[in-house]
Amino acid sequence: MDLTAPHLGFVFAAYGLSLVVLAGLVLWLTHRNRTLARALRQLEAQRAPRRRAIGEAP
Amino acid sequence: MTALAAVIARDLRLALRQGGGAGIALGFFLTVLVLIPLGIGPDVALLGRIAPGTLWIALLLSVLLSADRIFEPDHDDGSLEIMTLGPIPLELIVLAKAAAHWLATALPMAVAAPSLGLLLNLAPTLLLPLGLAMLLASLALSLLASLVAAVTVGLKRGGLLLSILTLPLYVPALIFGVAASAGDDPLSGSREAALLILIALVLLALVIAPFAGAAALRAHLR
Amino acid sequence: MQQFANPRRFLRLVDAVEPWAWALTVILLAIGLYLSLIVAPQDYQQGETVRIMFVHVPAAWMALLAYLDMAVASAIAIIFRHPLADLAAKAAAPIGACFTFLALATGSLWGKPMWGTWWVWDARLTSMFVLFLLYLGYIAIWHAIDDPGRAARIAAIVALVGCINLPIIKFSVDWWNTLHQPASVFRIGGPTLHPAILTPLLVMGAAYLALFVTLHLTAIRAEIMARRLRQIELARADEV
Repeated sequence: MDLTAPHLGFVFAAYGLSLVVLAGLVLWLTHRNRTLARALRQLEAQRAPRRRAIGEAP
Repeated sequence: MTALAAVIARDLRLALRQGGGAGIALGFFLTVLVLIPLGIGPDVALLGRIAPGTLWIALLLSVLLSADRIFEPDHDDGSLEIMTLGPIPLELIVLAKAAAHWLATALPMAVAAPSLGLLLNLAPTLLLPLGLAMLLASLALSLLASLVAAVTVGLKRGGLLLSILTLPLYVPALIFGVAASAGDDPLSGSREAALLILIALVLLALVIAPFAGAAALRAHLR
Repeated sequence: MQQFANPRRFLRLVDAVEPWAWALTVILLAIGLYLSLIVAPQDYQQGETVRIMFVHVPAAWMALLAYLDMAVASAIAIIFRHPLADLAAKAAAPIGACFTFLALATGSLWGKPMWGTWWVWDARLTSMFVLFLLYLGYIAIWHAIDDPGRAARIAAIVALVGCINLPIIKFSVDWWNTLHQPASVFRIGGPTLHPAILTPLLVMGAAYLALFVTLHLTAIRAEIMARRLRQIELARADEV
């Protein structure tokens, strides 16, 4: 790559923007997955004791 | 058939009433056409060049403005649900409401546009092509507006959604409509081609709007 | 396809595939970036800015692919009532919107040194802009309707109508451009792409495809969990 070429800033801007947006997308999706998984684990743990209790009732 | 006519007649009466959609749309149409020359300046040649595009944009926006009144009032007072249970298929009801909207709102504006275009220094040779193209396109505009109105009926901030969803549907109609009414391009054959494509668009809208609109209404009223 | 109607089985599949999908994505991206930034030669007309094509065109391809994905999933949701189909459509939308935004932004960055303006109403960019609006409208529908079942049906209708509309729009804007710009139609690199330009483009395209598939699977998993969460919360409300 010719580092003295004109308009090189545009190239860096394009690649940089792509990196930022795609990385942001990846981070947002993985964060969302982790949050949802944690919430599900908590709720399922809360339900399990109750279910056992109902099962134990005569 | 008479039931269908009844739906059309009812919607027409409501639209033409005080505060009905027709008056609002026409008022908006006139407002745009008066404000544009004032905003752009008295350069008569410039106005003449942009006149066709301006008239089309004013038509599109005015139809868009009145679109949310196609289903909203009936949805609010429950008559839409009653219509769903009635003898007429929902698809025909969507078609009837689109027809009423066209008769009350889009058609009058399409008819008035060429003469109002003289305010914008529209070239007299363009009066007929513009009128014809608008007459045709207004059918598609009303049909598509009914489709999107059915999709967004009863939604909060439905007006914004209506605009976002309608814009992509209106782009082809606008492009071919302007092409069918413009005059100064050397390829005059393209005006006929644009007109034919416009007819195709109307036919496509005639098929898609009732079915998709009815499906959307059913999903809303379930 | 019917096998994966069961969310748990689908999730197991996703869990198994995911690490490989990520690995493939990273590898392809690494190779692609190396080819794009180091190996590919300058264009005799555009100089270094031709490299922008390697992030612009794949983004545009994915923008279109994601919408096709949404439309097919929506059709399956309406016709076959497959329980995961509407989630797949919903999951694809934000991803597609991001790719569309990138296609537009990198298109502008490519265009400014080339045409001198940030924006031209050429067929591709205009169609991309309308596609962006289609995505926004679709996403907005999901947010505007409270009941997920109802939202899914309406969104599916919106996606399908948009899908029919998209080629019509492309055709109309193309037509409009030939009327107004008879001569200055931009051709990337000439009538046929030189292999030195084609290879980085294809590798980056494959990399973006791998990324899209990986992200899509991740997003579908999130939607499945979100739906499960909502079901549990509703059940708890009933129990109370």
